[in-house]
Amino acid sequence: MSARIPPRDGESIRRDRPIRFTLDGKRISAFEGDTIGSAVAAADVGITGRSFKYHRPRGLFCMTGSCPNCLMQVDGIPNIRACTEPVRDGMKVERQNAWPSANRDIHGWLNQVSFMMPPGFYYKIFQHPKWAWPTVEPFIRSKAGLGKVPRAEDHEPRERITLHPDVVVIGAGAAGLAAAAEAATAGLDVVVLEQAEEPGGALLREAGTDPAGDLRDAAEAAGARLLTGTAAFGVFEGPVIAAANAAALYRIRARHIVVATGGIEQPAVFPNNDLPGVMLSSAVEILIHRFGVLPGQQAVVLTASDAGHRTARTLVEAGATVSVADLRADAPAGEGYRVASGTTILSASGRRHVTGVTVGAPGAEAGTDVACDLVVLAGFSAPSTNLLSMSGADVAFDERAQAFLPVQLPENVHAVGAVAGTTTTEAAVAQGRLAGLDAAARLGASPKDAVARIDALRAEAAIAGDPVILPPEVGSGAGKQFACLCMDVTDKELKKAVTEGFSSMELLKRYTTITMGPCQGKACMVPSQRLCARATGSTFAETKRTTSRPPWTPVELGTLAGARRTPRKETTMHDLHTGAGAEIMWAGDWRRPHHFAGPEAEVEAVRTKVGLIDVSTLGKFRVQGPGAVELLERLYPNRFAEQPIGRVRYGVMLNDEGVIVDDGAVVRVADDEFFVTVTSGNTGALERWMTWWQADWNLDVRLLNVTGAFGAVNLAGPGSREVMAEVTDADVSADALPYLGAVHMDVAGVPALVLRIGFVGELGYEIHFPSMYGEHVWQTLMEAGSDHGIRPFGLEAQRILRLEKQHILVGQDTDAESDPFEVGLGWMVKADKDDFLGKRSLADLAQTGPKERLVGFTASGAWLPPEGASIVHEGTWVGRVTSARRSAAAGCIVGLAWVPAGWAVEGTAFDIWFGESTTQGSVALQPFYDPEGAKLRS
Amino acid sequence: MTFLIHCPNCGLREALEFSYGGETTTRAGDTSSEREFTDYLYYRENVNGWQTEWWLHRDGCRVWFLAERHTFTNEIRATYLSADRPADDAEGAPA
Repeated sequence: MSARIPPRDGESIRRDRPIRFTLDGKRISAFEGDTIGSAVAAADVGITGRSFKYHRPRGLFCMTGSCPNCLMQVDGIPNIRACTEPVRDGMKVERQNAWPSANRDIHGWLNQVSFMMPPGFYYKIFQHPKWAWPTVEPFIRSKAGLGKVPRAEDHEPRERITLHPDVVVIGAGAAGLAAAAEAATAGLDVVVLEQAEEPGGALLREAGTDPAGDLRDAAEAAGARLLTGTAAFGVFEGPVIAAANAAALYRIRARHIVVATGGIEQPAVFPNNDLPGVMLSSAVEILIHRFGVLPGQQAVVLTASDAGHRTARTLVEAGATVSVADLRADAPAGEGYRVASGTTILSASGRRHVTGVTVGAPGAEAGTDVACDLVVLAGFSAPSTNLLSMSGADVAFDERAQAFLPVQLPENVHAVGAVAGTTTTEAAVAQGRLAGLDAAARLGASPKDAVARIDALRAEAAIAGDPVILPPEVGSGAGKQFACLCMDVTDKELKKAVTEGFSSMELLKRYTTITMGPCQGKACMVPSQRLCARATGSTFAETKRTTSRPPWTPVELGTLAGARRTPRKETTMHDLHTGAGAEIMWAGDWRRPHHFAGPEAEVEAVRTKVGLIDVSTLGKFRVQGPGAVELLERLYPNRFAEQPIGRVRYGVMLNDEGVIVDDGAVVRVADDEFFVTVTSGNTGALERWMTWWQADWNLDVRLLNVTGAFGAVNLAGPGSREVMAEVTDADVSADALPYLGAVHMDVAGVPALVLRIGFVGELGYEIHFPSMYGEHVWQTLMEAGSDHGIRPFGLEAQRILRLEKQHILVGQDTDAESDPFEVGLGWMVKADKDDFLGKRSLADLAQTGPKERLVGFTASGAWLPPEGASIVHEGTWVGRVTSARRSAAAGCIVGLAWVPAGWAVEGTAFDIWFGESTTQGSVALQPFYDPEGAKLRS
Repeated sequence: MTFLIHCPNCGLREALEFSYGGETTTRAGDTSSEREFTDYLYYRENVNGWQTEWWLHRDGCRVWFLAERHTFTNEIRATYLSADRPADDAEGAPA
């Protein structure tokens, strides 16, 4: 059966465009423009889910995304507010917290044993016996929580967008749209945030075609940007507004903030007030006017104002039978419906849907039973001040409005419309216009006619209205009376918590979890406050609201996480490497060849013939200026003042603790210019480190990170000199370019800086050139080397080669405590030179001597100890392996390891353990290959 | 951290563009006492109030500069390059 009524003016649905989706596998027909909530209401699906704790049936309640009742799993994403989520063809919707179905939930029995689950029961009843907890906990865990977290790794990436408008308006109701129109007309840049898909706010509850149309069109025509479906969920320092929609997370820093968040209808508390069929008037009016859905045939409306009578007339006009319980003693007569003056709803009854209510005088024990299938709570609205509070506004109780209204606003924050207490559209619009004009005036954009209009607007904006009457705090009769629908907290439970000593809202919140659920207090703040007041013998006015904190509306974690973007760097030769079949690996942010043909063959080529490796990833710095020498003298323990032009120094950089920060080559290019290389993965940190000290010391130096500007390759192996001779006219003989020499020359016709250094321990040339020539230089060298048996080699071969030479890798073999003495680089420290970073600490360390040493070792057997394997002596852990590889040159496994300083003696034997594997190793202080460095220097 | 910082080169920008370098400290040189040196390496004032501190315009001009920021309110009353720092300011050094 369909609850759809005949087409009406102003409905948002397109009845000529059907849409089909499934609810728990059952097909539901809807129209374009429907939300999941309106579609299931049209299909007469009464139960939209089961409650959090007691698994009670719950139905549509607010239709504004303000309550927890219709949270559903949509296409795998949990906790989607179905009432505001547009339908899409083929979407899979599932009701939550119910098994096997929401209609026949197996855990409905929990409702019968609710006495076992008082507030804080999890603090109390599972404490003893202790042994029971492991059994009980998985059960509680499986019952707790809402929805199922999707297993899929990711969904649509979300952008992050920062906006800097002059004015941001939160809420596109009458007041917000009016403010936006006024500010934009004055020439200001205005952004309007509206959480609903359609602007209009409370206007959307009115009959007729496009009730918010004029205001919306005026705002847009004036140039205001409307972001619909975009919920502001927090106000942070700045102030910065955080907002989110399906596609992006917004950070909005505006010069003025207009808060027009309206009011939120509050439920009345009486037995079984949570039954499906009990709704707020917002839900009824939106369902009828916007979606053409009549949610019940026999309605009882509870109200204390004309708002309820408007709802009653709407229901009658839509074809329902209506009676109104009006709390006012002098309620107006009904137009086509019965009115019971001075009455309230004492209780509701029904099992899976409301079937009747008892109407009577407030506080009465008994009343008149009225059969119904719809109960409407109309007109008990509370200002939505949470975002205002987050912005620093104060609220105070207003007797006439029986609500907490903003009283003290921060500079540049405006509150307009229902959030500021207006009761009519006219007043809301006038307040909005005033705020827009005020912002314009304070930003120096006041329109000419502003002064003339202000008095009339002020008169219209004045708040008037009858004193508000709220329903009784509780009803009477049997059945649970819910204050909080999210967390299933009843009046009795709140009362019990107060008697246990949790006698303020903040304490009740922490103990009973009221206002902490998905609705964040939207649908429970006022009932909770009033029940708290009742239980503590104070008044509503004296009972403070709980602190407002973000997120005010639910935000998906994926939105906060943002798009997953992984920085990825490739050298200019990368395509050649992949074309040559290189196995590519991550090295920090870089993509680098792990190997080409195979590490062993590559090692052999470098040791016996010639190899070529792309080292463009090296961090490279140009250090130039009158203070260049002094900067390096202070940054390194090495000496640079007398370094000749055209010479390379191996430098190790320390911090003031004497700990090794990095190592690399320092080339003197000119009197006042150096070229410095650092470890690839450390480049950014080193740039910050060096420029920081430069700034602190105020040295006249230009320190430029030229890592991306220069490509680099290392040509290494006994045949490398012959290959070099083929690609340059420059003299590359040992006399002209000796070990640790550096010369500017053309290589393959490209201007290059060539360094005679060798991390891999062979005759070698590190060639730096403008990176744009990467492919050309690489190809020319490979062609020139083809007669010499050249092979490209990757990182793995380089690791084996450097390990055979016992060359350390900072960060791999050293850690945050390693000093130069420990790793055998003490010779580099010139303790007699002027102050440098680490000097003071090194003086102390030189006194005490190292406690640990990084030493080379050999190991036998087939098992290769991984990084971090333990060095064990007679069953005691004494050290760890930092690197190990199989070496053809040494004929065994070679590596580096930290051992106690006393063990740094050639041949000291130890065990190496990792998990179940073990082998024997012994200390080897000399490099495993060419210990004298004759090949390197050749 | 959603305040704005005035970069001496680039002007007013979101704090997210910058990296924090910590409060300025006085670097203890090679002749300092054990106490002075330990203080310099490991102790910070961590004031609740005005503090002179280092910032790097990481996503901008990459300059290190000094800011006088109130650590409770995040108000910044002055920013300047190290070369322009007031003469009476003690020698600062990054932590």
